[in-house]
Amino acid sequence: MNLLDELQRLKEYSGIAEIGDIARRYFAMNAFDGILTMIGVLMGNYSAHVEDATIVVSTGLATCIAMGISGLWGAYLTEAAERKRALIALEGFTLTDLSRTKIGRASRAAVIIVALIDGFAPFFAALVVLTPFLLSAILRDINLSYYLSLGMALVALFALGAFLGKVSKESILLSGLKMIVAGLMSIALSHFLRVSR
Amino acid sequence: MGKIRRLVLDVLKPHEPSIIVLAGQLSELSGIDGVNISIYEIDRKVENAKITLEGSDLIYEDVLKVIEENGGAVHSIDEVVAGKIIIEDAETPQDVRR
Repeated sequence: MNLLDELQRLKEYSGIAEIGDIARRYFAMNAFDGILTMIGVLMGNYSAHVEDATIVVSTGLATCIAMGISGLWGAYLTEAAERKRALIALEGFTLTDLSRTKIGRASRAAVIIVALIDGFAPFFAALVVLTPFLLSAILRDINLSYYLSLGMALVALFALGAFLGKVSKESILLSGLKMIVAGLMSIALSHFLRVSR
Repeated sequence: MGKIRRLVLDVLKPHEPSIIVLAGQLSELSGIDGVNISIYEIDRKVENAKITLEGSDLIYEDVLKVIEENGGAVHSIDEVVAGKIIIEDAETPQDVRR
């Protein structure tokens, strides 16, 4: 079976199980969660005057992994339950066993694809935000890493907003700015936690 | 045994895969020259389709496999034509409407 056939089959499954719509929704929602969570981690470290990049990287990576696993597990279990319920409901109409048909396979493929997207979207979104700290050996200045990371988070939020704007066929700029407001609000509120030494 | 030239099936199927996909896959079977699928009833989750297949040598088991693979269930075989040529059903006095 070559790659083209597999892609064709995936496209067919996507049409049957409406994978595209739900995957897009999960991607946007969880990437957003990933970025905002990482803003929280960064601001927490910044407020606590953490000046060791390895601490920020280790807490950040641990958060990335936890979010990835949370997304993967949560989506898998939820989606599997929902898809099974939908298949049983459909079987009630056709009065046949659909589990071994294309519909059953599409349903199972949807569970795996959606779970992967739900897990990897926050993981990678958070990892992108953390990049300046991964490059801290080059950047040297810890404050620069904080500012760059927060800047990257805002850029990532704007990109996500632009993506949603494109999906909804609304203004890409406006949609991107709406996302940035969420990031700025999160940064501002977290800033009040800043403990003076 | 004579070759089957036409089959008319009454099928209940989910909305997806669509009849476009189903017709395409049925038309790819060997011995089939043409496929016609028309929907005559739509429910919330399923639809009733009349599937007409014509060809030089239809293999019912293959047709059934494709329909079932796409989640459909054959409710009845409404017409079969077999032999060297396709013949329509002959009109009898009972068919004449008064």
